[in-house]
Amino acid sequence: MKQHSQSAARAPMPDMPKTGTGSSWVTSMRKELTRNRFLYMLLVPVAIYLLLFKYAPMAGEIIAFKNYRLSDGIWGSSWVGFQQFEKLFASREFYIVLKNTLLLNLYHLLFAFPAPILLAIMLNEVRVEWYKRTLQNLLYIPHFISWIVLGSIIIALLSPSTGIVNYLLKAIGIDPIYFMADKLWWPVTFIVSGIWKEAGFGTILYLAAMASIDPTLYEAAKIDGANKIKQIWHVTLPGIRSTIAILLILQVGKMMDVGFEQVYALRNPAVTSVAEVISTFVYTRGIVNLQYSYTTALGLFQSLIALILIVSVNRIIKALGERGLW
Amino acid sequence: MWPVEFNMEAYVKLLKDGQLIIAMKNTVVITVIGTALNMFFTIIAAYPLSKARLKGRNFMLMAILFTMLFSGGLIPNFLLINSIGLTNTYWSLWLPALISAYNMFVMKTFLEGLPDELEESAAIDGAGDFTVLWRIILPLSKPVIAALTLFYAVGWWNSYMNVLIYIRSTDKVSLMVKLYQMIDLVSPELLRGSGEGVSQISITPEGIRAAAVVFAIVPILCVYPFLQKHFIKGVLLGSIKG
Repeated sequence: MKQHSQSAARAPMPDMPKTGTGSSWVTSMRKELTRNRFLYMLLVPVAIYLLLFKYAPMAGEIIAFKNYRLSDGIWGSSWVGFQQFEKLFASREFYIVLKNTLLLNLYHLLFAFPAPILLAIMLNEVRVEWYKRTLQNLLYIPHFISWIVLGSIIIALLSPSTGIVNYLLKAIGIDPIYFMADKLWWPVTFIVSGIWKEAGFGTILYLAAMASIDPTLYEAAKIDGANKIKQIWHVTLPGIRSTIAILLILQVGKMMDVGFEQVYALRNPAVTSVAEVISTFVYTRGIVNLQYSYTTALGLFQSLIALILIVSVNRIIKALGERGLW
Repeated sequence: MWPVEFNMEAYVKLLKDGQLIIAMKNTVVITVIGTALNMFFTIIAAYPLSKARLKGRNFMLMAILFTMLFSGGLIPNFLLINSIGLTNTYWSLWLPALISAYNMFVMKTFLEGLPDELEESAAIDGAGDFTVLWRIILPLSKPVIAALTLFYAVGWWNSYMNVLIYIRSTDKVSLMVKLYQMIDLVSPELLRGSGEGVSQISITPEGIRAAAVVFAIVPILCVYPFLQKHFIKGVLLGSIKG
């Protein structure tokens, strides 16, 4: 390939007409390939990777419209049209799983999304530099720890018999709470543990945005008699508005997706009715129970809604005058 | 409730058992090779795509951006890995995750910030394309390489969904999956809340589990202090151009 384009550029083929848009396009293309052949060479494996491992699975979603059987393969399996979707939308489990996914994401948006913003505002007010540094470094650590490990720590902390949380509750006269096994408490545990893991790390972007706020704005606000709260409201928050906007788009784009690993680490049979989300359902029904086409239909439904969501939120944010994602 | 006495029995038992050590070794293999592959492919994608002069660049960038917005989903990926016979090999973990689109964009943004003159003058001095990349670009990219290496490595160390799906043999399983299996064995008792299941000998299931958790966390805590300034830079680099 490399050799060919090189020699071709040096000696154009004689039977090629010298004029005409088609051939000049080919010639300039050849020149471009020769000049940047190293760069194009690097991109070849990248393109193969994208095609094979990113775009081929997208094409593989057609099995949602088939009755896929391992023995028949993707092409050999029979077409069934929208039958898988009809089956899905007619089933009760679909609505439970969808409701759980949306609810957990809604709670996340309401409680976990603002957490790093509040934390960053508080950290931003810490004036002692070494103290702030130390706090930040400690707050970032949970982000780097696996959900399996955190899940195991959380289960131990919240255990009704041996956990420290229930021990303290007992000390003030409250009966043990089954945080992990109670349908009401499990979502709370889920959200709080999510905040605990990610809120600290989430402050990085907000703190950076705050650092770029012009300090004279704060001085001007002080001269105008604004107290700390008012300074935060009128200077800090407007200063991080576009950061909030971007992260909000990303979050809404994930509305249909609750990460598999957190749920899998925290769930147990007692709370399936509130903890089964799309990702865990696809795993259990698809990978474990081999219902490939049925779960692919659910996966495709999820991906399409997510795509629509992120594209429309990006539009809205742009219309509001903020910088979008693309 | 409170720790009774200090002893190392749980750790000794875990080490003697051997399974956890094998799982730890597997995780190291997965992490080291996985991260090396990630960095190689992220660099060979980001370097050409950081050149505005390259034709077809926007098409490639859009093709990569689109993979962030829409993906084939779990089952088609699973069937693909199955059909090319990678199941139960570590390639089933590495190959589908060769490039994180997000990290590729971080790297590209960083490379775009390097002055073009550097490369031009090196080329005038007679350096070949590869030499320019290896001797000039990469040494200048140390901060972003450090940050992305950290992100990839931590990802490999902690992730377990892929192992759960693709790795069947128990002797190939990673530390996190092994840990999950151990937690799974003791948690029913913890959930029921009755203390009866807890034996009176000095090694409790909790003790074993806590020791296993320590095995999983300590390596991360050891490298964390040296790398923390890099990952902050990495996160911020990513935010410049989303």
